[in-house]
Amino acid sequence: MRLPHDTLGGTLMAGITLTFLLLIMLLLFNGGTG
Amino acid sequence: MTWALLDTLARWLHLLGILTWMGHNYANVIQHPRYQPVAAHDEASFAAMISGALKREHGTFRYASLITLASGLFMLWHRGLLADVLSLSGDAAVIGIGVWIGIIMVLNLWFVLWPHQKKVLGFVPVTQEERVRCSRITFLSSRTNTILSFPALFFMLAGAHGMPLSL
Repeated sequence: MRLPHDTLGGTLMAGITLTFLLLIMLLLFNGGTG
Repeated sequence: MTWALLDTLARWLHLLGILTWMGHNYANVIQHPRYQPVAAHDEASFAAMISGALKREHGTFRYASLITLASGLFMLWHRGLLADVLSLSGDAAVIGIGVWIGIIMVLNLWFVLWPHQKKVLGFVPVTQEERVRCSRITFLSSRTNTILSFPALFFMLAGAHGMPLSL
């Protein structure tokens, strides 16, 4: 079975998307820091 | 706000770029610690050289992961931050996410990738069919860690390094 991250573009997109999802979750649930 | 965001993105790109670039140099040193002209090898000694290089490379990066985790946990413990970081409390949640992703990556490397990689690289003799099956698992395991490295680098360094995350 082929998956999106079998490709370079899919890998980059998955990495970037995951980062922003976690960042949004951090800001939502932690109320931001600093 | 915009400059802070741009600065953070620049730092993230800076890290991804430098690791891709310098990581390549480090991998080259581990694969070829000294210069050996390829043309001087016959096929058997060339295969032995490749096998040795693979063993060295996989051993080095596996143990590098433990050094990274241990030194990181030491720094946090030394600063009295370890409990806050691991429980994702307050400001420590930023590096905490990076630490937890790092722990997942170390576990993935040692307990998913390595047992299968041993078979793919022929360090453990297996059937060709098993080898093919394992190669898919090692690819996915390795690729998972590549994807996880994006947020790990962001939360370990780029986002937490001198920038308040209250954008």
